[in-house]
Amino acid sequence: MTQTATTHGLGRRTMLQTALVLAAPPIISARGETPVRIGMVDPLTGILSALAASEVEGARYAVGRLNKKNGILGRQIELLVEDSANDVGTGVQKTHKLIERDKVDVIFGDVNSGIAYAMSQVTNEAKVFHIVPGGHTDPITGTDCKWNVFRICNTTSMDAAATTGELVRRFGKKFFFITPDYAYGHTLQDAFIKRLKALGGEYEAEQLPINTADFSATLIKAKAYKPNVLLNNMGGLAQINCMKQFTQFGMEREMHLGGALFELETIRAVPREAQAGTWAMEWWWEQPDVPEVGAFVADFRKATGKTPSARHWFGMVAVESVRLAAEKAGSLDGPKLSLAMEDMALPPEVALQPGRIFYRAGDHELMANIFVGDAHPPAGNNPDAVFTVTSVVPGEKAAGPVADTGCKMVHPA
Amino acid sequence: MSVTTADAVRPLPGRRWLTAAIVWALLLSVPAWLPMLGGYTALAARVLVLGLAAMSFNLLLGFTGVMSFGHAAYFGLGAYGAGLTLKYLAASTPLAMLMGVLLGGVAGTLFGLLIVRRRGVYFAMVTVAFGQIAFYIAYSWNDLTGGYDGLRGFTRAPLDLGFATIDIANNDIAFYYFLLAVFAVATGLQGLLLASPFGRTLLAIRENERRARFLGIPIERHIWMSFSISCAFTALAGALYALLNNFADPMGLHYTLSGEIVIMAVMGGMRAFWGPLVGATLFVVAQDYISSITVNWMSFVGLIFVLVVLFFPRGLLGMLQGRGGR
Repeated sequence: MTQTATTHGLGRRTMLQTALVLAAPPIISARGETPVRIGMVDPLTGILSALAASEVEGARYAVGRLNKKNGILGRQIELLVEDSANDVGTGVQKTHKLIERDKVDVIFGDVNSGIAYAMSQVTNEAKVFHIVPGGHTDPITGTDCKWNVFRICNTTSMDAAATTGELVRRFGKKFFFITPDYAYGHTLQDAFIKRLKALGGEYEAEQLPINTADFSATLIKAKAYKPNVLLNNMGGLAQINCMKQFTQFGMEREMHLGGALFELETIRAVPREAQAGTWAMEWWWEQPDVPEVGAFVADFRKATGKTPSARHWFGMVAVESVRLAAEKAGSLDGPKLSLAMEDMALPPEVALQPGRIFYRAGDHELMANIFVGDAHPPAGNNPDAVFTVTSVVPGEKAAGPVADTGCKMVHPA
Repeated sequence: MSVTTADAVRPLPGRRWLTAAIVWALLLSVPAWLPMLGGYTALAARVLVLGLAAMSFNLLLGFTGVMSFGHAAYFGLGAYGAGLTLKYLAASTPLAMLMGVLLGGVAGTLFGLLIVRRRGVYFAMVTVAFGQIAFYIAYSWNDLTGGYDGLRGFTRAPLDLGFATIDIANNDIAFYYFLLAVFAVATGLQGLLLASPFGRTLLAIRENERRARFLGIPIERHIWMSFSISCAFTALAGALYALLNNFADPMGLHYTLSGEIVIMAVMGGMRAFWGPLVGATLFVVAQDYISSITVNWMSFVGLIFVLVVLFFPRGLLGMLQGRGGR
């Protein structure tokens, strides 16, 4: 009758101790010891994984750098990264996980605009401060803007507007568009056409399925139209196929090639014949006139062994923005951070480009410069020297007034 | 010994009730125990929704013996039906669910008429084709569906019961219990259906279609009805998914999701009633936990699937019930 649990190798004392440990409420550490938790949801698997990996790497670099100093508000930073797998449901689920379980102070993400939007509904409901480092679709800081959501990358329209001016200035006003037949393509083409018309240009356009492989019929039409510029708005493999066929047809002797966005990660991945045309970069690592950029690139290369891309810069700026806003607000509370971030300018060592770079209060869009220039095969021995900037367009000029975005910002009472 | 008989579907009565009691006790107490294991309510909500989709699909695969690789189409149509209703018709959650079920269910019923005479790989291939048609329509019809960016601008509405209002819009736990109630009704209906003469006939078709035909059973009509019912329940799961995310996107119609639904049903046990729910739990939880550790999480989920197929060919729950039956 006196047999105890010890016969099973488990003492009563051990059981009681275990029960006490399990039943004990979590010990709340002193405020200074609790890390600032940043949750980052990005598509680390799927077709956008290369871009997402760079954003995460940029954020990790910034966290490491800040943790060596004073962190955020004297607290160390903890970056919790979750894979959205380029799926809306998974992205929303991971956002819930970070907010409900991990109690993050801030959320970053996603590269996929659709997921970023769905996440913003969750963060808005939970009143959690949210930065979208690299999802481009206009409504996030336009018709669907929210008080807690800020964006670092440009809108699709900003990239198109910046490139159009440069293409018209350098090559002429007659454009031929090859555009994927879905929302992103339509938004992009509309933005190009709006700016082109304002500059007195003319155009013809062909909308194709997103996974088009054979562009010969469309390229023949383009040849017959004799445009100054062929605008390739296709994405992914279709974009590369279009460019390869453009070169195979010898069309580069008759017209210029261009488009909105061509990222360092993508240029590095495409064959030499597709490393061509005039495009927009949202940040570029080679800016001889800005001394802070050289120091950053050297430090980043030392830390990661890589040349920073715009995506790295987005990740870094996201973390630094939280620090700056938290210092200004003296708090990590969502509404206070949001108000502190409005019209907040980035210091030169974070902005890493000329001019005043700030978050516009009216739509929460970062007014960063757009680097328009020419893509080309690597120059010299540097595999990352694949782009030459020909003009720097101020973000505010490309974005136009807040009223045009459709954003009506409403802060919580 | 044969476990492909109806006995595998209906284990001993006492054991069946015990399984059901364990499942419901676990589901009802989720908000209490899940956080202690490092989980969160939204994870359980996702398990319920995908579990319902897999169980609905299993009416066709596990209990009729017909393979569909395009069930994501009805799941996605259910999601768009619910989302479009909330966005354009009325801020009513029950109406949204009804419209989602109608959209997916009617599409499945009409499409079923066309394919009901196909069998095996031909049936599966045509279902994939229809799924991709639905996907590209959602993808291209920007004005209505939001195209690639997805359908946005709607949120689930609080439940107005007349005498009280339940805030499922802002209270995650209330929404979880709402999902659980819908799940209970749906699985209850599925259970009744399978226990009915119609359900027994489906099992007869699954076991030996030729013999069932010789007995005078109208095979095509039964398969068509099973397909339609399965699509309607899958559309209900899709409608709940739209309410869970407050969003609907074309990937909800994509064949990759169809594949995941098949994996869930097979992993959990397609001959066991609760098997697909177990499979969905394993799939969603493994994805959630492993993807936080490594970007190669898909390799691990794939490995789990391979191991289950190799060592538990009747799925996890099917194996347990098989042992109990012996």
